[in-house]
Amino acid sequence: MAAPAVKAARGWPVLALGVRNRLLRFPGLTQVRGSRYGPEYKDPQVDKEYYRKPLAELTEEEKYEWELRKTQHIKAAPASKTSSVFEDPVISKFTNMIMKGGNKVLARSLMAQTLEAVKRKQFEKYHAASAEERASIERNPYTIFHQALKNCEPVIGLVPILRGGHFYQVPVPLADRRRRFLAMKWMITECREKKHRRVLMPEKLSHELLEAFHNQGPVIKKKHDMHKMAEANRALAHYRWW
Amino acid sequence: MAAPCVFWGAAVSHRLFLGGRISLALRQGVWKAAAAELQVGTGILRLRHTTGVTAKKNVAALRRETYTVDFIKKQIEEFNIGKRHLANMMGEDPETFTQEDIDRAIAYLFPSGLFEKQARPIMKHPEQIFPKQRAIQWGEDGRPFHFLFYTGKQSYYSLMHEAYGKLLDVEKRQNQLQAKGLFSEKTKTKDLIGSRWLIKEELEEMLVEKLSDQDYAQFIRLLERLLTVECSAEEEEFVQRFRRSVTVQSRKQLIEPLQYDGQGMAFSTSEGKRKSAKAEAVVYEHGSGRIKVNGIDYLLYFPVTQDREQLMFPFHFLDRLGKHDVTCTVSGGGRSSQAGAIRLAMAKALCSFVTEEEVEWMRQAGLLTADPRVRERKKPGQEGARRKFTWKKR
Repeated sequence: MAAPAVKAARGWPVLALGVRNRLLRFPGLTQVRGSRYGPEYKDPQVDKEYYRKPLAELTEEEKYEWELRKTQHIKAAPASKTSSVFEDPVISKFTNMIMKGGNKVLARSLMAQTLEAVKRKQFEKYHAASAEERASIERNPYTIFHQALKNCEPVIGLVPILRGGHFYQVPVPLADRRRRFLAMKWMITECREKKHRRVLMPEKLSHELLEAFHNQGPVIKKKHDMHKMAEANRALAHYRWW
Repeated sequence: MAAPCVFWGAAVSHRLFLGGRISLALRQGVWKAAAAELQVGTGILRLRHTTGVTAKKNVAALRRETYTVDFIKKQIEEFNIGKRHLANMMGEDPETFTQEDIDRAIAYLFPSGLFEKQARPIMKHPEQIFPKQRAIQWGEDGRPFHFLFYTGKQSYYSLMHEAYGKLLDVEKRQNQLQAKGLFSEKTKTKDLIGSRWLIKEELEEMLVEKLSDQDYAQFIRLLERLLTVECSAEEEEFVQRFRRSVTVQSRKQLIEPLQYDGQGMAFSTSEGKRKSAKAEAVVYEHGSGRIKVNGIDYLLYFPVTQDREQLMFPFHFLDRLGKHDVTCTVSGGGRSSQAGAIRLAMAKALCSFVTEEEVEWMRQAGLLTADPRVRERKKPGQEGARRKFTWKKR
């Protein structure tokens, strides 16, 4: 099989690897707006196991990717990414969303306390439960976190579309990343606004996460409200043109 | 090559002859010309008219400078002779005097303190100084030489014509083979990774013609089609003319040489930078994973977990967590940038202890690239780098 031809997206040929329009870069002038990396820089692959795979096991596609990456420029790994097994991209994203004013230290400690609180509550339940119920109690805070956020993701969303001078809320399918973002955003907003001022964030968050894990609670209700609104505005669906 | 002729009537009027065609230089209308009847080849009607404001335009400078072929040839001869003189002046052998020698000699003989490098005296081959221009595309009688002249982009279209002709030839050959039953589906792997298509600017330079993005895309698509079908040597050569090689391994990573201290322990030193933090790390070959930063243990210097994770990252990636001792010094920046600078320094120093393959892995994991991101400046009219002032309706 010939090496796969240079991939063309939408008929547009893949342009030169590693050559940027040097006309834009004059010596003595630094770029002020926009990314400091050129467009040819690719994101780094931090996962150790990707590199440890023996060459024989790779498919044709992977071999091609492997060779291609050798010619590409790679960006520097950001400060929040490591090859550690304890790192979770969802948790990192959530921590960044909790962060206020660039205070990553505080955000990370809140996250750690939340997960600890979740674990403690689950262990308490575990020890108080009988033998049959114990099997069904989930104690890993990470699985609870992931499952809770997955339960909060809406399937369909509303988008305001301007028609004839009025904004109509049109039901629209959401992309994966939009759904994840909405779930996280709702969770955080809910915890920030609807808590008593004496109650600390980790406590409230852990409570909400556990409720969402069991498909109960205000965040799940918000998701259902969104779905109901979309169902109600079903007639406007034809306003969507994409 | 006809020289520009300037007619001076009672007034200021300029006409230029360019190979039988007459082009009028009309700028900033200070010219009330009656419509003159222009006759190709024969005499010109001399007009008498007055202009309002006497603004003598240097029309010779307004039009694009055309360099004649003889002129360029003369320049090349002069350059070669001058090169030999220069070699003699510098006491070097004129036969083996390269461009770098010329640059050095000029910098020595004409030292310049100007900051702008392009304003300093240079002596280069005329091909690099005078932009490539097209010779006049039409003959004495005004008829263009090339049959595609009136398309406006004759070189581009003739190239497309040629490429498509080749494609048709190849397909015809394949059909013939198929008819005879000798056609075989053998496809060969081409080295698509080590080379790239030339970019639009390079193609424009090659054809001495302006192209649009769509033209360029169309051309590349045609060449890719040629690549997919099996073609003979001359077609291969035709396609290879439009491919440039790419640094196959983008690792021009300098691997520090190993040094040995008094006890015979091998170590390697390297530097790293991040924002305004500069770090220098000394990684010892055998150790137990102790890291000393500015004489302080890393656990005390970096109380934040994220920074310590960053320090561990290169070692964890290479499975060498407890195997090396590190001593580093760092200054400038904040806590996160100091950690990033030390990480870069350690990763670079580790390159000396590790195989080439693992160096490539580190590069692909982003450990060996210096992070170019710096604080974006504040712009005038805005509150910060991106934040605008509060918009007030009135």
